[in-house]
Amino acid sequence: MENTTNNSKTRSILTIAAFLLVMFGFVILNRAITPPDVSQSERRQLAKLPTLTLQTLANADFMDGFEDFAADSFAFRENLRTLRAFAVLDVFRMSDKSGLYRADGGAGKFEPVNDKSILQAADKIAKVAETLGDVNIYYAVVPDKNIYVAPQTPGYEPARVAALLAERLGAYTAIDLTDTLGGDAYYRTDLHWDQPRIAPVVDKLGAAMNFAPSADFETRTLGEFNGVYTGQLALPLTPDTMTYLENSATVGATTQYFDIASNGFLDGDMYDLEAFKGGDPYDLFLRGAQPLITITNPDAQSNRELYLFRDSFSSSLAPLLAPYYSRITLIDLRYIDSRVLDQYVKFAPDSDVLFLYSSQILNNSAILNVS
Amino acid sequence: MLFSSVTFLYYFFPLVLVLHFLMPHKTTKPRNYVLLLFSVVFYAWGEPKLLLLMLAQSFSGWFFGLFIERWRGKKLSKAALVAALVVGIGGLMFFKYADFFIENFNAATGISVPLLRLALPLGISFYTFQILSYDIDLYRSECEMQPNYFTFTTYVTLFPQLIAGPIVRYVDVAAELAERQITLTAFAGGARRFVIGLGKKVLIANVLGELVDICKTSGEHSVLNAWLYIIAYALHLYFDFSGYSDMAIGMGHMLGFKFLENFNYPYIARSITDLWRRWHMSLSSWFRDYVYIPLGGNRCSKPRQVFNILVVWFCTGFWHGAGWNFIVWGLYFAALLLLEKFVLGKVLDKLPRVIQHIYALVFILIGWTIFDAPTLVTAGERIAALFGVGDTALAGVSSLYYLRSYAVPLILATIGATPIVRRAATWVQQKRVTTVLEPLTVLLLLVLVTAYLVDGSFNPFIYFRF
Repeated sequence: MENTTNNSKTRSILTIAAFLLVMFGFVILNRAITPPDVSQSERRQLAKLPTLTLQTLANADFMDGFEDFAADSFAFRENLRTLRAFAVLDVFRMSDKSGLYRADGGAGKFEPVNDKSILQAADKIAKVAETLGDVNIYYAVVPDKNIYVAPQTPGYEPARVAALLAERLGAYTAIDLTDTLGGDAYYRTDLHWDQPRIAPVVDKLGAAMNFAPSADFETRTLGEFNGVYTGQLALPLTPDTMTYLENSATVGATTQYFDIASNGFLDGDMYDLEAFKGGDPYDLFLRGAQPLITITNPDAQSNRELYLFRDSFSSSLAPLLAPYYSRITLIDLRYIDSRVLDQYVKFAPDSDVLFLYSSQILNNSAILNVS
Repeated sequence: MLFSSVTFLYYFFPLVLVLHFLMPHKTTKPRNYVLLLFSVVFYAWGEPKLLLLMLAQSFSGWFFGLFIERWRGKKLSKAALVAALVVGIGGLMFFKYADFFIENFNAATGISVPLLRLALPLGISFYTFQILSYDIDLYRSECEMQPNYFTFTTYVTLFPQLIAGPIVRYVDVAAELAERQITLTAFAGGARRFVIGLGKKVLIANVLGELVDICKTSGEHSVLNAWLYIIAYALHLYFDFSGYSDMAIGMGHMLGFKFLENFNYPYIARSITDLWRRWHMSLSSWFRDYVYIPLGGNRCSKPRQVFNILVVWFCTGFWHGAGWNFIVWGLYFAALLLLEKFVLGKVLDKLPRVIQHIYALVFILIGWTIFDAPTLVTAGERIAALFGVGDTALAGVSSLYYLRSYAVPLILATIGATPIVRRAATWVQQKRVTTVLEPLTVLLLLVLVTAYLVDGSFNPFIYFRF
């Protein structure tokens, strides 16, 4: 009897100790450890302590911001994120963590098709296309990695998306890229395609847009690349290798980036090797997020021009098109409003226009600045 | 502020514990003031603008209580009670139901009275019922008057049970407000209960809440999707609500209060009558003691009993939200309870247990479908989909994928909704190994929950409309 009482008392003491150890342990650690400003793994700024004023208290902005700050500045946050991912995927055996899944040593992310957003994207494309004058208009969807590496996920459905786009874009030429690639055409740790493996996409575009892909490229290797999913998943993944393609066209072409400060274009490299060492190594290709870029190739196979309405996938595709167009203008409507486009881009008659978007953009089309 | 938030766990509650235990404890007054101060901060954190409303309602309940006591035995005492009821219920009606009444008035008359679009004060349904129970109990001489407004407001605002219950009656905590002992065993039991509740909320309820949202928005019309949705919703609701109650009860123990239990494995009920002895027990008993019995309960004619049950369940449904679906949900259970009381009772008792469980579960799930639907039409469609009525496939890509993905959480939640785990825990508690196992479980569970919260997981608050 006395033994049982002693056990019970010891258990109570140890339970209280465990509870207080975790609670006050983290309280102390949260004070002792200075949180970073940026989460490298998630590639985002971490929340700061919100400003405390009577107004922010009255409208509850302080309270809303404080929870974000409390979570973002938590001690050992990265380890705790890994613990959660481990629990979700390996303990609770769930197939994904908020759409993020592991497959073949890599990772992917899916989101269900948002019909409303796809139709809105089509309307936005149509609205821009109507203003372009006498040009040849094509549109295509970047094949989603999920359809190859995780076909069982209830995400992107190529046929459904194609049908939705065709509802509004029937007047223009659709190019179906679905059958051009396989799972190995994408980085294992990132959503993007791997430039040396997308030649079939160039071939398919060439067949539809009347150029004959024939250029040879040399592969340059830069090193290990941990894609965006490595950080988002918070579990160890085998890194990819970052490579890019080069030939006389990519070396000889002039690449110009729109500079907001000078309201004009400045020369730059097609492959920004410094950017590879930065927060998002994929920015190697045409410096990542840019509103307007021109690639001028005096030795191109033709004098034709291409206007490429695009997202990040085209950053690695455009260099491969350089041999075939005298000038390629890349337009990212996420960073420039369609209403001011004619101030910076003059669309030459009889040129090609390609709207090429990934499912992520089509599924979140509010991000496109077309009004 | 949610209990299941980093702010609460690692800023608010540690501070409460430290200051509460640093206060001199010869009398409970200093500790009560700490609790009152932090309860006010807790409420203001989520509802800074409506804090005054809660304090005013608390004052009104306390103030009329003074007159109920002063005029005891006189008609004026009853008048004070009526005034307390009018102010309490009036406040609830105005802030929670005004737009519902206006919308229905507009629809019935064709007039366009503009909606008030008032923000629903957090926890108003809970604290109003607590205040009313005090005044009614005082009038019935079932509790003593609380002369100190601050002590009374400590009872009303006590943060562990302020926004999601259990609905604690003044009579149940009056003695503890005056004097309370916190033993080692009680504190340890409270910590254990709190962490278990936290785990139920964060690791199960939030996860299944995601599945509920997925099923509702997938656009897949299949029988499997309909069942997956409603089973996930039923488990989500139970783990969310009972998890919150566990946390409240656990914190109560840590601070020296003994709140009554709110759930007793409702999904093992063998009838709807049994369900309502197990689900949200503090609300059921509130309506029983303050509405059903005063109306005559079951000590009256059969037609009157029917009327009484209909009134109670109309009120129960309406208490949950200002919408017709909640009223229909309440009356749906009233119909089932009447059926069991007057027709099915003895027949049900003779059925095999497993049939009784299936009967209860099917009607519970249909009830939740009505409860969660934005409109009665949607409720009808979802119920039809459960039974494959209309243009409904058997299964689809989405439902099959998510059934597989959520299999383990669903199985764990199903097991956790039965007394199996408790029985196993009771058995293990007799072993010496528990001395280490229990603290280790508390430690690991708290760290895991923290990991989920820090990673910004889905953390809905489902009580906003109560």
